[in-house]
Amino acid sequence: MARVYNWQLGRAMDYWYSENRPKRQFGAVFDINKCIACQTCTLSCKTTWTSGRGQEFMFWNNVETKPYGYYPLAWDVKLLDALGPQSWDGAKYTGRTVFEAAPPGERVLGWMPDAIDYASPNIGEDEITGSVDKGLALSLPQQVWMFYLARICNHCTYPACLSSCPRSSIYKRPEDGIVVLDQSRCRGYQECVRACPYKKVYFNPSTGTSEKCIACFPKIEEGIQPQCFVNCIGKIRLQGWVNPPERAREDNPIDYLVHVRKLALPLYPQFGLEPNVYYVPPINVPDPFLIQMFGPGAPAAVRTYRNARHDKTLAGLFTLFGSTERTIPFFRIAGDEAIALDDDHREIVRVPIYEPLFIRPAEDSARRIIRLNVT
Amino acid sequence: MRKIVLVVFVSAIASFPACRRGPTIDAAQVTAVAVSGALPIEDPLAALWQRAPEHPAALVPQDIVEPKLMQAGVARVDVRALHNGDWIVFRLAWQDATRNVLAETGVTSDSAAIQLPIQPGSQVPDPAMGETGKAVHLLYWKALWQDDAERAAGGGKDRVAALYPNATTDHYPFLANPSAQDEMARRYAPADAAGNPVTRRATPSPVQELVAEGYGTTTAVATQQALGRGAWRDGQWLVTIARPLDEGDGLAQLGVGHKTFLALAVWDGASRQAGPRKMRSVWIPLVLQAAPGR
Repeated sequence: MARVYNWQLGRAMDYWYSENRPKRQFGAVFDINKCIACQTCTLSCKTTWTSGRGQEFMFWNNVETKPYGYYPLAWDVKLLDALGPQSWDGAKYTGRTVFEAAPPGERVLGWMPDAIDYASPNIGEDEITGSVDKGLALSLPQQVWMFYLARICNHCTYPACLSSCPRSSIYKRPEDGIVVLDQSRCRGYQECVRACPYKKVYFNPSTGTSEKCIACFPKIEEGIQPQCFVNCIGKIRLQGWVNPPERAREDNPIDYLVHVRKLALPLYPQFGLEPNVYYVPPINVPDPFLIQMFGPGAPAAVRTYRNARHDKTLAGLFTLFGSTERTIPFFRIAGDEAIALDDDHREIVRVPIYEPLFIRPAEDSARRIIRLNVT
Repeated sequence: MRKIVLVVFVSAIASFPACRRGPTIDAAQVTAVAVSGALPIEDPLAALWQRAPEHPAALVPQDIVEPKLMQAGVARVDVRALHNGDWIVFRLAWQDATRNVLAETGVTSDSAAIQLPIQPGSQVPDPAMGETGKAVHLLYWKALWQDDAERAAGGGKDRVAALYPNATTDHYPFLANPSAQDEMARRYAPADAAGNPVTRRATPSPVQELVAEGYGTTTAVATQQALGRGAWRDGQWLVTIARPLDEGDGLAQLGVGHKTFLALAVWDGASRQAGPRKMRSVWIPLVLQAAPGR
């Protein structure tokens, strides 16, 4: 085991290989508050990559309802249970990661799902945390709640799948940090399936090898965002590049949301993989759940988000989500417009930050009548 | 001061890898009995096997590299061998209460392998998959591959249909356009498209030949000649694994009357054993008995 620095934990940690960050790192922000679980992302991925024999229950992208939805079954709670207490001292994680908690003889603390665990991809869909009692008035955070969690491979800085492979069949592309599984080298040992805490590597019984999300790298290489991003009808997703915090740039949209405003947070940072898909946490959910899922920064992120529409930079940046197929490495705000910029800071697209707003008073004073809202 | 020096010395011994994984050789040997005529290459139940002495080979869990096998599996393999001057065939027998053939998530295929040193002589490489510059030749039998061949011969049911005989599927895009079926089937089977030797098998034989120079380095050889067949009955696997004595340069040469070594490994699918999670033996001397009159 080597010692590497994981900025999401605020400390160094053990990892199977030494620290070796790519030239640039695939990164993404998902705004959970906008997701309606329409599964268009899931289908766009499925039709593109996993419509073959042996891939029937393989979803590189899935959307599950939290807290009772899981794909595969109980993927996160099983590991959370095995990992033991996950305590934070401020922004520093004082518990153990899946690497530090590896049992004797193992490289990673993991668990092996059974095929049946993949049989109900939509289990728990739309289920809320409890019953709605008579007379209940909803407030934030809500007394009964649920939210949708869209998930792809996190293309982690310290992938557990990569570290677990006895054949070194999984690697991180140096040019973009995308984690790929060499399909010519894999021998189907399923160690990666066991090790990935997010359970985003799947065994294909037809080919006898394991397969995973490739972040649509043929599109990324052309400067275009992946299928699940450009097909998102809720415009919840933005793909770009994420730097470590000491190299964060204010004009990089992912850095701005992750590092500058600390509004987008990693999924289960305590696992220790430094995942690179970041979530704007849902505002309707109690803090303890959010902290367990997104780390100690979640309550502050919710506060920032609830004020985002009054913040021109944040509001502008969110309008760029889903505004173009192109990857957005940089952005700027000019007047009332948000502008997406390419690697050479040339304009890709510009979007008005606020749509024109017309308020039609309820009372028509000229006719002295109350208007009925018939929509 | 003396105490500190002693502690350092003890910890240096404990961490020195050769102490743990140095070549180890079994006292008993496997004798390949010379026979004339056809060998029972694909018949683990043939009467001819009674002519070969049985060597009980003890297996130990692979506990050298992570992931290790932490719970011991099959503890013994009984090995016999026959040769006819051109080919050698081994028969491995071990107890296995469950017959695991088809692999799916969380289930692996029962498998076994024979390992031979490629360089001749008494300086055998590390028994655990060889070492850099001292390659080993592997003959790897997998129940899944045998089942593939048997299903292909008996009606062509594929692995998914065999796993889920009652499943129905609404639609596969690659079936929609008959002229593009092959192209699309490969598009959605990247291991096949990449020519992965575990997916795109060079031969229907259930035995694959590989070379390795240490853990994680197994590579399929270009020309696959090995054959074999397994039979599971009454909680026991009986598996034949055969190869020509001479397979050309780069692979282990076996000479009549000569002594070499073999090592064995067994994977139990029900216990999710695969790759390094296996039971393995130390090196066992192997002698090819000279044929009478040769």
